[in-house]
Amino acid sequence: MNTQLIDPSWLQIACAAGLLLVTIGLSAARGLGLERDLTVAGIRTFVQLVAIGYVLGFVFSTDRPALIIAILIFMLAVAAWTVAARQRRPTNALRLLVLASLSTGCGLTLVLATEVILQIRPWYNPYYLVPLMGMVIGNSLNSATLAVERLDSELRGARDRVEALLALGATSRQAAAAPVHSAMKAAMIPIINSMMVVGLVALPGMMTGQILGGSSPLVAIKYQVLIMYMIAFSTTITTFVLTTLRARSYFTPAHQLREEAVAG
Amino acid sequence: MIKQARTVLSDVTLSFESGGQYAVLGPSGAGKTTLLRLLNRLEDPTAGALWFHGAPYTQLSAITLRRRVALVFQVPLIFPGSVRDNLCTALRLQRRGREIDPKDLTWALELAGLDGAMLVRDAAALSTGEKQRVCIARALMTRPEVLLLDEPTAALDPTAARRLIESVVRLSRTGGLTVIMVSHQPEHARGVGGEVILLVGGHVVEQTSADQFFVAPATRQGRSYLDRTLSGVTP
Repeated sequence: MNTQLIDPSWLQIACAAGLLLVTIGLSAARGLGLERDLTVAGIRTFVQLVAIGYVLGFVFSTDRPALIIAILIFMLAVAAWTVAARQRRPTNALRLLVLASLSTGCGLTLVLATEVILQIRPWYNPYYLVPLMGMVIGNSLNSATLAVERLDSELRGARDRVEALLALGATSRQAAAAPVHSAMKAAMIPIINSMMVVGLVALPGMMTGQILGGSSPLVAIKYQVLIMYMIAFSTTITTFVLTTLRARSYFTPAHQLREEAVAG
Repeated sequence: MIKQARTVLSDVTLSFESGGQYAVLGPSGAGKTTLLRLLNRLEDPTAGALWFHGAPYTQLSAITLRRRVALVFQVPLIFPGSVRDNLCTALRLQRRGREIDPKDLTWALELAGLDGAMLVRDAAALSTGEKQRVCIARALMTRPEVLLLDEPTAALDPTAARRLIESVVRLSRTGGLTVIMVSHQPEHARGVGGEVILLVGGHVVEQTSADQFFVAPATRQGRSYLDRTLSGVTP
């Protein structure tokens, strides 16, 4: 079998865009009203990926750790802003809280994976750091979004229960325990589902990419297993820190619900 | 006390004697519930101060204070599980679940007017009146000195309401508790006895004995409130 990598020409990519045109056509035919969103999303996919292709080309050729760290921080900041933007009230306090949580979860995961497990050298090797961090942040971002959404709605919806517990002498942490557990569970479901079906009904993008890129399937699989465990770890740490800090922001130091936090 | 740019309570000076019974009356929006929330420290006043046994509220731990000044809400909120599970909530929160004495459970239930045999019942399956009593018994498990009741009879039929008022009186007389009960219905306040505090528009317009208040209110607002409520016009 010929395993030589096919380098798609730009014309072939344009043909692939035909798939998107069909999608847009179907949306119009069924009156879904998604034509504009699909067009913008399709253009953004192309522009963003081409841009990142050039950026990665530059980053991979650099030997400056400060630049790599700056890129990782930039990725974290964009993720934090994205999570906050998905919420009903995206405040700066929430952005900082998400940034702190993602930095803790993703940062710790990356250090453990690259320094303790893989032991990459030099420690800032962008070939490993940037794609691994991208995978970890991308998944933690989704979990963080779900966690904040669920926690906010649970705390607002369960105000009576929370205050009943406070009135019985519960600490704010005890009073918010059930909503926090619920939010953490909701945030963990996607990665648990992915781990359950990986290889059976879905071949992850990174693994597919590596195989198409010419890597041995066994090497690709090893990396994919590593990635899945990293995502599970970073998702757990991120949502644990995030839900704990977010729940705390609902209460005063005297264990009272903040009216402005639960209103509306 | 200002909430959402609206003054809910203003110029309120009240003192409660240990072991006394107090009924807080007043029309909707008078600030009755806010008063109880302040006393339970679910909220802090925007101006002024509260004191408990000579110590400012702010110097006491809110957690400890709430165990000594317990609040029962208007709508009975039952936690999932049996009546026993509900009664054990406060002690479990203090990680003292293993110290629970079955006699304490029976004591709290009977003081709230329920039979000890109800402990094994599913709390969610009880009637509203029974749920309200379970909430009272649950609050009693911390052995509070003060029991704050926010319109405990609001959702009850007349018979259940009368039985609950009898329990409230028993709580104070037998249990030695200070009972402060908010009510919409003057006849319930009359049943509790003790003192009546009439709140109108966030101000205390009358504080007198229940006997005095129901015979001859001292203020025009007191007379007007009684006329409207006793004639069946909801304020």
